[in-house]
Amino acid sequence: MTKRILLGVVATALLIIAAYANFYVAPNERTMGVIQRIFYFHAATAWAGEMVFFVCFLANLLYVWKREQKYDWLGVTCAEVGLACITIVLITGPIWAKPVWGIYWTWDARLTSTFVLWLLYVSYLLLRTLIEEPSRRALLSALFGIFAFLDVPLVFFSIRWWRTQHPAPVIMGGQGSGLDPTMQKVFFFNVLVMHVFCVFLIVERYILEKLRNDVDLLQREAEAQ
Amino acid sequence: MKNLDSVFAAYVIGWGIFFVFFLSIVRRTSALRSEVDRLKNSISRSK
Amino acid sequence: MALFSNTATLLGKELRTEFRSRELLTTTSVFILIVLVLFSFATNPGTEEARQFAPGLLWLAILFASSLMFQSCFLREQANDTLSSLRLAVSDPFAIFLAKLIANTLFLLLTEALMLPFFAIFYNITLWAELPILSLVLFLGSVGIAVAGTAISAISAQARMRELLLPLLLLPLLTPVLVVSATVTGSLLDRDPVVQWKGIAFLGVFDLVFLTALWIFGQYFLEE
Repeated sequence: MTKRILLGVVATALLIIAAYANFYVAPNERTMGVIQRIFYFHAATAWAGEMVFFVCFLANLLYVWKREQKYDWLGVTCAEVGLACITIVLITGPIWAKPVWGIYWTWDARLTSTFVLWLLYVSYLLLRTLIEEPSRRALLSALFGIFAFLDVPLVFFSIRWWRTQHPAPVIMGGQGSGLDPTMQKVFFFNVLVMHVFCVFLIVERYILEKLRNDVDLLQREAEAQ
Repeated sequence: MKNLDSVFAAYVIGWGIFFVFFLSIVRRTSALRSEVDRLKNSISRSK
Repeated sequence: MALFSNTATLLGKELRTEFRSRELLTTTSVFILIVLVLFSFATNPGTEEARQFAPGLLWLAILFASSLMFQSCFLREQANDTLSSLRLAVSDPFAIFLAKLIANTLFLLLTEALMLPFFAIFYNITLWAELPILSLVLFLGSVGIAVAGTAISAISAQARMRELLLPLLLLPLLTPVLVVSATVTGSLLDRDPVVQWKGIAFLGVFDLVFLTALWIFGQYFLEE
């Protein structure tokens, strides 16, 4: 219990330190000014979210292979945490885009595939609410999760090669190459922080899922008596 | 600095979503914990 | 090989069942026709812009029709509880999927073939010159739709609200097929037709990825 509280405190503290770095350590961007500071939070959350979905994919594979409940719990946990991350990405992105591009949204590869990713995992969670039996729910959602994850690179490249008509947004594309060294450090610090914060959320959400299972078992034992 | 309010909005909304998500986990966890205690009590009573 | 003979037998059953009543083919064809007509009310057909939108609208109509068509795919088995006997009848459960997949592709292609003349007339597009390549694009696209659709149909048949769930799960998965097929068809039916071989190859890759995934994981969809 204390380890969890410690993790929570550390994660939140890191988040605040990262925000400080984003506003006071990182230099001002020449062309965009202060609005660019959204990038550190936005892109780092995107990276962390994608990593979380990858863990979800692994959990799905492991469940189909081993059929152990813990992989199902990990799968739904990562799907929810990943979805929270991507929701933030899809909201902070347009907030950044409007002053910079003049439009909230564009259908280029990165945005579109992020949105489709969001839709797929919303469907994943919805599917789970529509299947009653726990082991069937675990198996079918794991299978859908696998298909969904395999689809995402296909979505990305299909849009990249056949839909992106204007140059990719300079900031969100392979930024590492053109980024000021201080900016780079701040960015990678943000990436670390978001990963730690996601681990914290995953731990808490996983415990919730385990508790749910405990309640089910106890209920069955109570009814048996 | 003209876009500062947009930047703040982005951070507030971003952190807000994480906070709401975490809050919902905490709420559900405490509800389940009390349910676990209740069930354990009723089982030990009927034993 | 046992897989192919099992598949062939099951495929025969699928085709016989459908051609006895032909209800799936007729309803799906009429549906695509209705969607094409509705699109013409929503847009302004006959204009140059409409010609540019037309290929996308065609594929959209095919996608919507397929999300209806695949509803009955596994529901049919559930209603008559034939799935367990099917599983016993074959050594490899992938045969069940393969048979349904081939049948679904055939049904889709048939409905597309029926709809193409109407599409050409409504949108003032000549298809003859590019028909061979167009058929290839339609084939690869339909295979992709059928593979994903058959898999998702197996999932949704075991859940509640399956009529809404199937399109919800299927349509986001098929985004690459829609994008690439529409673009390739568009450049094919343009005033100066261009064959986008990269796009056709991409459709092939999509089909291969999902077919392989179905081959690996298919047996788990049908577990008791």
